[in-house]
Amino acid sequence: MITIKIILIAILLIILRAFLVQKSLVLVKRAIGVLMFTGLLFLVVFPDVSTWIANKVGILRGADLLFYFAHLFFLLVAVALWRRLITLNAAVTRLAREIAIRDAERPQERAEQIRTAEN
Amino acid sequence: MAKPSIWVIIPAYNEEPVLADVISELQDYDCSYHLVVIDDGSSDNTAKIARKFPVHLLVHPMNLGQGAALATGIEYALRQKADIVVTFDGDGQMQPADIGLLVDTLIKEDLDVVLGSRYLTKRAEGMPATRNLVLRTATIMTILTTGLKITDTHNGIRAFKAKALSKIKLTQNRMAYASEILSEIARNRLTYREIPVSIRYTEYSKRKGQSNLNAINILFDLFSRGGQ
Repeated sequence: MITIKIILIAILLIILRAFLVQKSLVLVKRAIGVLMFTGLLFLVVFPDVSTWIANKVGILRGADLLFYFAHLFFLLVAVALWRRLITLNAAVTRLAREIAIRDAERPQERAEQIRTAEN
Repeated sequence: MAKPSIWVIIPAYNEEPVLADVISELQDYDCSYHLVVIDDGSSDNTAKIARKFPVHLLVHPMNLGQGAALATGIEYALRQKADIVVTFDGDGQMQPADIGLLVDTLIKEDLDVVLGSRYLTKRAEGMPATRNLVLRTATIMTILTTGLKITDTHNGIRAFKAKALSKIKLTQNRMAYASEILSEIARNRLTYREIPVSIRYTEYSKRKGQSNLNAINILFDLFSRGGQ
């Protein structure tokens, strides 16, 4: 039991550090992140607590509770990333369009280029 | 009224084998048209071919899709003060003479938009039966969602007055833009009419064109519009 706890705590701390080193993160997000990680660390150290909470909401095992919440969480992440991707896509399209229009080759200019090349 | 300036937008993605013919045919039909070729990030010599002709050439730095290419061409034509903008496929499926019909109808009947349809007469040469089924289904869906009386929703040949076109906002980069144009026509209450045009289903265009399965992608794109 102790070994897995140490492994999990180590992994959580590494992720927490990776999360906190981002300087662009606003304070609120930092606070929420730290709170979440503290909760997870707490559940690793005292796994029975998750079973206690699970029983309160009508689930038998704490592991099941975590399983359900992990699923919901990843679904949320997927939707958020997908929306982000759509926004990013629109921005890339605008950028590509502006570049294409800015660098448009007009027939008159091409004719002149050909004339200059011939002379 | 002075002769309106007519801009023909030709999106081209890897159309090296047919683009020269498409442009020559257009020039032979009416040399007063301003032709705009949008090379949508092709990996072949599409741009090189286009450079041999007196066309406006716009190159997307990457492949974005036909909807995006058209939107780029439209934006460019509007900035160049086009009076009438026509969309035309770069794969040789369309006949330049149909542009004349579309533009004449647009001017004579003082409409905002004239759309080409394969279905008003039996002029679609050699259309595969499965393609017919997919397109008919798309048409029924469009009639149900937009209320437009349209017989052919995914026909690439269309003529717009510049003023009407500036109201149309295109966000769909890929093929779903065709339905988006129609919903924009409905939303802005633009006046429109469909006229029969002929589409040539050549071996090249069949190989090059949309797979019927792409209809599923188009649907998905349309339903995920909300995020934009």
